[in-house]
Amino acid sequence: MPNFRYRYILASIAAISLILLSSKASFAAAAEENYKFYCSQCHGLEGKGDGPNATKSQPVDPRDHTSAAEMNKLTDEDIINSIADGGAATSKSTLMPPFSETLTRQEIAALKDYVRKLCRCKGK
Amino acid sequence: MIRTASLALTLFIVSIFLPGSTFAGGPEGKKIFEAKKCGACHQVEGPAKEKTIQDQLAKKGPELWYAGSKFKKGFLEAWLADPKPIRPLEYNSITKKNDGSHPKLSGKEALDAAAYLMTLKSSAVKDGAVQPKDTPKGRAIFIKRQACYGCHEVKVRGNAAGGLSGPSFVGVAMRLNPDWIYAYLTNPKVFKPVKDMPDYVGILTYSEMRDLAAYAATLN
Ligand code: HEC
Ligand code: HEC
Ligand code: HEC
Repeated sequence: MPNFRYRYILASIAAISLILLSSKASFAAAAEENYKFYCSQCHGLEGKGDGPNATKSQPVDPRDHTSAAEMNKLTDEDIINSIADGGAATSKSTLMPPFSETLTRQEIAALKDYVRKLCRCKGK
Repeated sequence: MIRTASLALTLFIVSIFLPGSTFAGGPEGKKIFEAKKCGACHQVEGPAKEKTIQDQLAKKGPELWYAGSKFKKGFLEAWLADPKPIRPLEYNSITKKNDGSHPKLSGKEALDAAAYLMTLKSSAVKDGAVQPKDTPKGRAIFIKRQACYGCHEVKVRGNAAGGLSGPSFVGVAMRLNPDWIYAYLTNPKVFKPVKDMPDYVGILTYSEMRDLAAYAATLN
């Protein structure tokens, strides 16, 4: 009998960790998928600020998300605000468009984490 | 005599109400569309089907189920016979250039196919809502407040400028129906629920979108 209960507990731990693992995996994929679809057209597939919209004629280059020096100037809140409300939110160029009506708050927060991974920096 | 006349009348009335039946090439155009398998890449029946990014990336060409509300007829007639890149980049790609290798139709086929595409209307587009007009308000939103040129190519003093990921805005005045531009901005979920352009409903007011559509419709 105690043996049974032990097995039951083990099985539930396995099931719960599986659920946790898979939800974490899909969360990571979602941020990367959103980044490649919405952000890479300007910021580049690897975030270096070299997407196809970064043409010579543009007055401002997209931020290089892999530059810790640049990205460290921003707080997490700055990053979230600029994604939601565009460059104007942090007194930057409106060439950075607003995504508040396109992405959910959770998706924007996940993109902030993704961008932080690209710069390997924590910000101020 | 009366019977023939009433038969003709019935046929006439039926022909008005049958979708896609117009006098100028509609049915022939539909046949061409089917024979050339245009439907392999283009959706001709609404509503929009895409729900996820994956759905959008699986598409081989833009939707045409509202083509008759979106395009100017003269543009379609000319473009189908001599297609030139509208999107600077290959459809659904941000790395490859659009090489302009779209299937080409003969002059007569192009006229018929254009007539057919012009029958594909969307009830979400209100006729006569917007007149093309270059106003300081519309221009300021397009250039400063929202920088639409960030993804759409425009001509500045004869030179191409701006971004490349969206359809080019060079020649919008010849290509797009101003009423459709307004409908596209105000009803993004109807025409294109998943796209790499942000939704502006809730960011711009309807009156600002009207000015913006009117301005965009003047771009040559
Ligand atoms: C139309 C091109 C474009 C798109 C699309 C775009 N960006 Fe930007 N982004 C820019 C430009 C240009 C800047 C630099 C603005 C400046 O320095 O004035 C920028 C700056 C930023 C910044 C720095 C903001 C600051 O205050 O310094 C972040 C963070 C950012 N973008 C994230 C994103 C994310 C995430 C996405 C996708 C959801 C995205 N961007 C989509 C063009 C774009
Ligand atoms: C192999 C896929 C494919 C086939 C087959 C195809 N098209 Fe297309 N079509 C495309 C792509 C991709 C574009 C976008 C081209 C561009 O932006 O320059 C396009 C654009 C168009 C447009 C302009 C739509 C817009 O939103 O800008 C029309 C109209 C059109 N096609 C009609 C046709 C007709 C008529 C046929 C059959 C004779 C046809 N197409 C066959 C892929 C296809
Ligand atoms: C982040 C890039 C981006 C920005 C910024 C942007 N667009 Fe777009 N736009 C696109 C893309 C990409 C498409 C094509 C969507 C599709 O059909 O898949 C598009 C399509 C359009 C179309 C339809 C064109 C056609 O031929 O199908 C119109 C009209 C339009 N945009 C207007 C605007 C206006 C007005 C603004 C400024 C308020 C704007 N766009 C800002 C990327 C952008």
